[in-house]
Amino acid sequence: MLTRRIVLSSLLPLVAAGAVAAKTPAPKEAYLYIIWPTDGTVVKGAFWCRFGLRNMGVTHAGDATPNTGHHHLLIDVDEPLDPNEPIPSDKKHMHFGAGQTEVRLELPPGAHTLQLVLGDAEHIPFDPPVVSRKIRIVVT
Amino acid sequence: MSEESTRRLAAIMMADISGYSRLMGADERGTHLRVQRLFRELIDPTIAEHRGRLVKTRGDGFLSMFDSPVEAVRCAIVIQQSMVGQNLELPHDQRIRFRIGVNLGDVIVEPDDIYGEGVNVAARLEQLAEPGNIYISGGVYEQIRYKLVCGYQSLGDRRVKNIVDPVPIYRVLPDPAALARATRGNRMRLGLIGLGTIIIVGIGGGGGWYMWKRTTEQHLQAVAAATQAPVQPVPPLPAPAPLPAPESRAVAPPTPTRPVADPQAPAIPPPAASTASAPPPPAPPATAPAPQMQIAVVPPQLPIAQPEATPAVAEPEMIPVAGGTFRMGSNEDPSEQPIHSVAVAAFLIGKYPVTVRQWRDCVKAKACDYVPNGGDDAPVNNVSWTDAHQYVGWLSRTTKQRYRLPSEAEWEYAARGGTDTRYWWGNAMKPGLADCKGCGGLHDAVEPAKVGTLPANPFGLHDIGGGVAEWVEDCWHKDYRGAPADGSAWLGTDCRARVLRGGSWRNDASYVRSASRDYYDASVRYPTHGIRVVRSP
Repeated sequence: MLTRRIVLSSLLPLVAAGAVAAKTPAPKEAYLYIIWPTDGTVVKGAFWCRFGLRNMGVTHAGDATPNTGHHHLLIDVDEPLDPNEPIPSDKKHMHFGAGQTEVRLELPPGAHTLQLVLGDAEHIPFDPPVVSRKIRIVVT
Repeated sequence: MSEESTRRLAAIMMADISGYSRLMGADERGTHLRVQRLFRELIDPTIAEHRGRLVKTRGDGFLSMFDSPVEAVRCAIVIQQSMVGQNLELPHDQRIRFRIGVNLGDVIVEPDDIYGEGVNVAARLEQLAEPGNIYISGGVYEQIRYKLVCGYQSLGDRRVKNIVDPVPIYRVLPDPAALARATRGNRMRLGLIGLGTIIIVGIGGGGGWYMWKRTTEQHLQAVAAATQAPVQPVPPLPAPAPLPAPESRAVAPPTPTRPVADPQAPAIPPPAASTASAPPPPAPPATAPAPQMQIAVVPPQLPIAQPEATPAVAEPEMIPVAGGTFRMGSNEDPSEQPIHSVAVAAFLIGKYPVTVRQWRDCVKAKACDYVPNGGDDAPVNNVSWTDAHQYVGWLSRTTKQRYRLPSEAEWEYAARGGTDTRYWWGNAMKPGLADCKGCGGLHDAVEPAKVGTLPANPFGLHDIGGGVAEWVEDCWHKDYRGAPADGSAWLGTDCRARVLRGGSWRNDASYVRSASRDYYDASVRYPTHGIRVVRSP
């Protein structure tokens, strides 16, 4: 597994076409958070989840303007994220590449976790990763 | 007015929908429902989030008040930028565009209304504002100019009906650089754009900010070009102007605001193409550094006229699929329900996904923005739906055939190849039949397998399971309720996201089932997305 990682990261500069470093730097004071719902909220049915970001900007995917990125919402994801790979795109990893800062969620009843991860132009996490606290909610 | 009513200083925001009666004339019920939904999903929550109060609504607008002018203007910005996002995929005549005025003034507050000169001035500002714009009074400007990093364009003092003193008016611009461009018409200040974007978005947390910036800038440039003669000598014939060349090529995906790739009519050649068999206009001087960014940014990217004598292109290999009826969907995921019958007419479909080699021809012809990575026989990946449309548009013009993206129904019909199981070979994953995570075979986590690596399904299509997820024409709908039964693409008004089928090499086995559906923003590139083309016989 370790060797695999090394191979991956050595390939990245090629993929990033001329980028100096494999990882896009993020300001240390960048702060990503979920405005709503808050940790422990019990929500009824569908709800709007709103994303907050301080000290960095939101842009669309593909835009490499320094200190900007776009949101990804991880729903019930327990596996660690590979910091060197594009954030996966599937039912548990929602992408907001057009620069959206909120989403209407309809989750099945029960306990869920939500967590935001900011991705760079190529959907890869920043260095250091800009990640929100993972919150727990209950859908009734 | 009762004795009890109180006076107070407040920031008053007045907004109305431009062209409301026209919208109502065209579609009364639809417009009403859309506006109601806007209030429910955007305006009410945004005002609340900025600690404002929605005082009253009209059919075509609303009046709200805030304790803080900064919050009021932020709220206005969020509303405008959200509207840009919502309008993106709509035809111009269906777009809902707000005009917003914000004033700071002393008002009389009643339980369900507010009165006073302050309200009248806000109303006047709103009437003066261009659709999609925010106009603020001098009083608001003084309060927020150092707190909200935007551009503020002074529009001078205006006399306002029934108000004694003229009111200084400012237009709120996305960022200071936009102001510089609007007023002086030269030089991009990229740093400032970045800064403006960062700060505003950081504060307001807004989605379509970037897009709003773009549209406003384009609007401003148009205004500047129209009003300020000394701007730049625009070439008399706006030939396919120097595309925003060097900086956009590397990273920027097709910007959603660009009316690129007219999605509804991809196959129709541009009028120029038929007549202008001559060499394309001498316009794009490959290296001319175009010091006037003004001109470079204005025109949307036009399909470039194809010289007639195009050498043969690497056309995708197509296989015929006979028409028929099949059961579309499954009960494994809510998005795949209800299972429904669809009748599909005969069509031809790519035996493989479009390859890097094939795509490069489009790049060489300067008809595709996206320059692919990877080996010649790899499926092209990291393309957006918008990119895909550039490709099929170019392929159609070049070959005089009507190439297009499959409809979602056509895709599933062809992928199933007459089967109704989870995969075309049965219900269980088997190594070597699909290119996906944990599916066995020669799977590589970094890139998709070359085309033709996987065996063909009963209809002769290769590489159906995994590999690149394939864009189809349809707008995303969360399930099949209301889906067409005739095999056509299911479009709609809210079409920011389009459908992807087949799962990718980075998904697990459940995503490469024949019925599995996924979606993504149409304008955004993601590494696992590719295409397979179809055409009618």
